[in-house]
Amino acid sequence: MENNTLSKSTYSFGISLAVCAVLNAALVIAKESSKSVAGGMQKITGHHWTTHVLFVFAVFMVLGWALSRKNNNTGPVISTTRLIQTVAGGVVAGIVIILGFYLFAD
Amino acid sequence: MIEAILMVHVLFGVGCVLSAMWVLADSLNASQANASRIKWLSRATALCMWLAFLVGGYWYVVFYHTDKAIILKGPWPFAHNYFMETKEHFVITLLLLASYLPIAASNNLAANKDARRLVRCVAAMVVVVALMAEGHGSLIAAGVKVGLLTNPH
Repeated sequence: MENNTLSKSTYSFGISLAVCAVLNAALVIAKESSKSVAGGMQKITGHHWTTHVLFVFAVFMVLGWALSRKNNNTGPVISTTRLIQTVAGGVVAGIVIILGFYLFAD
Repeated sequence: MIEAILMVHVLFGVGCVLSAMWVLADSLNASQANASRIKWLSRATALCMWLAFLVGGYWYVVFYHTDKAIILKGPWPFAHNYFMETKEHFVITLLLLASYLPIAASNNLAANKDARRLVRCVAAMVVVVALMAEGHGSLIAAGVKVGLLTNPH
């Protein structure tokens, strides 16, 4: 018998993944467009990329956890089709922004 | 010996591609019989990606500046200016995707069509993005090679 509900972590970390994929691209643009942002990130850990990775992963974990606490600990209420669209859309958008930024803007 | 770090990086990258491909193939015919294997392979995908990422990241932060100088002086500066710059950033998304795969695969795939669709989507994206990273890596290595051939040190 089919059971079409997913765990709350699946929904919350899926949404967090989509958000962080776009955040990752936005951070690339901010870092490449502003020397003060790049310099600040360099100062925090000694290398801008290390800070970038730690920041994006920390947001992924915290946002995923926070979303799973929503709605009295039941997590976000969206359909699985919407979740798949959100994950795929966020990942594709994030990667296309990075590829396009270095191709055209940088 | 230092170059062995890069070989380990590629080895785990290939491990990530192969295990994600296996998850994708198994999830097309998910049943109680292969449910445990899908869960373990999705964990193997995440583990391989983390190891490839940590080893490659260590190389990038500590040793890459030498390769970068060779590439930029050589005939293929785009190997750094485009391929390394993009790779070092989109692999962060790949790391998150690979980390998410075991979460998606933790649902009951045998009895849940939506969970199967999600796992197939995530595994397919891991395969495509990881292959893209492998391709970028090979172009970066070729950039160093043509740089050394043009300006022997």
